[in-house]
Amino acid sequence: MAAVVLPGGRRCGTFLARGRPAARRARLALRVLGPGGAMRYNEKELQALSRQPAELAAELGMRGPKKGSVLKRRLVKLVVNFLFYFRTDEAEPVGALLLEHCRVTQEEPSGFSISFIEDPERKYHFECRSEEQCQEWMGALRRASYEFMRRSLIFYRNEIQKMTGKDPLEQFGISEEARFQLGGLKA
Amino acid sequence: MKLHQKSVLSFFHGYRTQAPDREGILLKKGARSISYQRRWFVLRGNLLFYLEHQADRTPLGLILLENCQVEPRLGATEPYAFTILTPGVEGTEGGRTYKLAAENQGELAAWLWALAGVSWRRLVALLPPLEAQYRELCQAAGQEPSSPPEDCGFLATLSPPSSFQELHEHFGKEIRVLQVVRRGLQSSDNRGSRSQAKGEQELNSC
Repeated sequence: MAAVVLPGGRRCGTFLARGRPAARRARLALRVLGPGGAMRYNEKELQALSRQPAELAAELGMRGPKKGSVLKRRLVKLVVNFLFYFRTDEAEPVGALLLEHCRVTQEEPSGFSISFIEDPERKYHFECRSEEQCQEWMGALRRASYEFMRRSLIFYRNEIQKMTGKDPLEQFGISEEARFQLGGLKA
Repeated sequence: MKLHQKSVLSFFHGYRTQAPDREGILLKKGARSISYQRRWFVLRGNLLFYLEHQADRTPLGLILLENCQVEPRLGATEPYAFTILTPGVEGTEGGRTYKLAAENQGELAAWLWALAGVSWRRLVALLPPLEAQYRELCQAAGQEPSSPPEDCGFLATLSPPSSFQELHEHFGKEIRVLQVVRRGLQSSDNRGSRSQAKGEQELNSC
């Protein structure tokens, strides 16, 4: 019946008059995109990931990016390239951040912040109990991104190849699929 | 649980100068419908995004690929079909099975190939031995080891080593995969027609 134009000029398609008006509005509401967009994802997938073994996990103070955010104690868990944070007594995370294309900055006295390169003013603040813990987390977070890992692997692979004339992935018997991920075939 | 969408969108948009690992059209079966929808899929790292149209700024959705299983689906009504099975929360319900289909054998093989090695954990395990070998070589050569670059722009200037040899291996492997897929398809009876995803878009069709 109506063509819906969403923020950013994206058309949402037409919706036929089907079902009760309230139900239609509810379905429409699910589809309306906010300024950042609302991508669908499977919550169980994310939950399953949050239960995987963590690279690092600790109780830290955490403050969200909004003005006037209060520092809260959270169990923060780094799993692959995701950062999950839990209320200290709950099994399910409150939230998750994808650690790609982000910047980790030290914040005095013993804390750090994470911001995303596309939106550097929005910072997620974390407070550690010591400078040592802070450095440990900052290092781990910087190494967490898929892109950083891939860059590192490609760097070492190329350097070793330059020095030995051989592709180290061959020597280690690393699979063809893994080599694809390292973009060895791309210009 | 709140997934901070901006962080994900930043990843999706952020590498404008860097091509994704793979992108292209795939048919995706809706969660609640029997029909397949044509979607533009973009693989970046261990995330698979799908868009309604290639030019859309925001994806419709994303699939977390860490720990997933990808398999061709030979008994499907749709040809060139495969599934991505994502793990659910352990001990309770299983994860989601995404039913997808490529448009031809070449695309199917290429996607199976690309999706097979996405795991972050698998790749990160390669780092310590490579780094160790590099440092040993530097030490033997009396050379100061350097660190990988922080900057994303580095990849744009990198030239591929042994490119002909790698292309040779790559196409050879791809042909072998295609042969396996073709044998599998020939042995099955299914020649289902492709469903046309015309008409109104169902809200919950993805």
